[in-house]
Amino acid sequence: MFDIILRNLSQRKVRTALTISGIALGIFAVIVMGSMSENFNQTFETSFSLTADKIRVFGSSGVFGGSVTTSKAAEVRKVPGVKDAYGLLMAPLEEGGGMSFGGNQIVGLPPEKSQTVLEPVQVSEGRFLMRGDRYETVIGTSVATQYKIGVGDRIEIQDKYFTVVGVLEYTGSFFDATAAVPLDIAQDVYDMGDMVSMIFAIPEEGVDGDLLAKRIKLSVDGVDTLSPSELEEEARQSLMIFSVITISAAVLAAIIGGLSVMNTMLMSVMERTKEFGILKALGAERRDILIMTVGEAAIMGLLGGLLGLACGWVVVYGMNLWLAEKGIVLFLITPRLVVIGMLFAILLGTLSGIYPALRATRMSPMEALRYE
Amino acid sequence: MNKASKANKANKAANKAKTDIILQTRGLKETYMQGKVPIHALQGVDLQVKRGELISIVGPSGSGKSTLLSIIGMLETPTEGEVFIDGIEVTGVKMKEIPRLRREKIGFVFQHFNLLPALTALGNVEIAMRFARVHKKERIRRATEVLTEMGLGDRLNHKPSELSGGEQQRVSIARALANKPSIILADEPTGEVDTKTRDLIIGILRRLSDGGQTVIVVTHDTWVAERTDRVIRLVDGMVEGA
Repeated sequence: MFDIILRNLSQRKVRTALTISGIALGIFAVIVMGSMSENFNQTFETSFSLTADKIRVFGSSGVFGGSVTTSKAAEVRKVPGVKDAYGLLMAPLEEGGGMSFGGNQIVGLPPEKSQTVLEPVQVSEGRFLMRGDRYETVIGTSVATQYKIGVGDRIEIQDKYFTVVGVLEYTGSFFDATAAVPLDIAQDVYDMGDMVSMIFAIPEEGVDGDLLAKRIKLSVDGVDTLSPSELEEEARQSLMIFSVITISAAVLAAIIGGLSVMNTMLMSVMERTKEFGILKALGAERRDILIMTVGEAAIMGLLGGLLGLACGWVVVYGMNLWLAEKGIVLFLITPRLVVIGMLFAILLGTLSGIYPALRATRMSPMEALRYE
Repeated sequence: MNKASKANKANKAANKAKTDIILQTRGLKETYMQGKVPIHALQGVDLQVKRGELISIVGPSGSGKSTLLSIIGMLETPTEGEVFIDGIEVTGVKMKEIPRLRREKIGFVFQHFNLLPALTALGNVEIAMRFARVHKKERIRRATEVLTEMGLGDRLNHKPSELSGGEQQRVSIARALANKPSIILADEPTGEVDTKTRDLIIGILRRLSDGGQTVIVVTHDTWVAERTDRVIRLVDGMVEGA
């Protein structure tokens, strides 16, 4: 039966090619948009797992605001169950750059804590910051790539030059786009006074993060906390919204591809009305006609999926290569995405073929034979 | 055994076969609506055909010839009445059994040949056996055999567009024979060919009948009808003289 299906498809080369392109375009969108979503997901997962043990403490006037002072860190440190607490200042590395995905950021931190803050990430080159460091910085791989700098080179931050003393290993997390600098210097160059973006509180071993977060909130005036699980929940929700938007745009594109398969198959079934009549007169069963017609649609789906996957891979690869120069990784094709893309293509083709196929099987052989 | 006695034996076997009833219709009626007007295409047709008979169904346009053929071929179901083929009441079997019965009992030959244009002569004959789930090797062997019998051994790989009308009709007969059916139903098999090819086609159908194959031909052509064992004349959906 497979040879008949291929023969039928090759009989209408242009139409088949156009239909396959329609599906390919849809799957291309699924792959490109999906790989963007996958990249964000993975970056989040890695970033989260790297800082999963820490409680974030903010000024109660605004989450992610800079309204908490370094002195609060000392108060947080006194809360029973807190092993350590220190302020962090985060700001965009480039002028006008946002703290969004893809943008580089500086993290001002107490230099002697840099290894603890960044743990378990290690330096691939040089060293971490240490007490006494001033205009020194430890940078992530994306920053190193984008600025084409390494240990010993200098980087300009807010009109001040910092010497790179260490480069972090690649993690696939936000740390890759980070330049860690001493907190007091960061506060100085960004003119933030005593302000920090947040305080990291590290629980003592065996202390429940969620309970400790509540305790900090109750014990220290004017702060809000985000426990690891709350943070995860919040971030997951934003990621979910992002995924839903990207994936639904892609799915919409793919459904349009599916409709083009249905249109092609309906036309093809109409054109072959007489052929189906002949086949039925020769003893073809409903199942034979169904396999033949759905098979054609499924193969168009499969070929469209492969083509879309190939094109998507080429574009994603090219874009990543181009963006790597800017220190940005935006797309990630995961095996899960490939499997979903291909299954979706085949399913779309098959489903789109079912209605035309049913129409073909329902034709009365006599009417089909009379059809001109 | 000499040639004459061999022929004699074959004829005896064929004559013996012609005593079995292979097809019987009882009170066959078919009414369909043309807009709001009921058309009585068949008004009670009783028919008996013996194994190996070559019969023709004749009659003016609209007399119900093609409808009768379609019902016998299980392409349509009658409004009333029964059809028995090989003792099986085909009008009483379940719908899903029909394709199998059609494969086993009926071989169609159409006026317009109705070959699949994308397939070669061999492909057109072989496809009929696919639905009977015959193994590929056997399909090719059988298709080659019947096409060679039809004198098309050297045209196996030609597509219908590369064949003459007569050749196409012979491919069509070969296709009808592929599954070794009980009855060959031929709807105006000589309607689209010249007189020389007509003689050839009737010769083939005659030969098949002499070999024990039952053949029913619907025709307008009196020359063709005269060369069959029996002529059934349909007028207004009824067998004349019945």
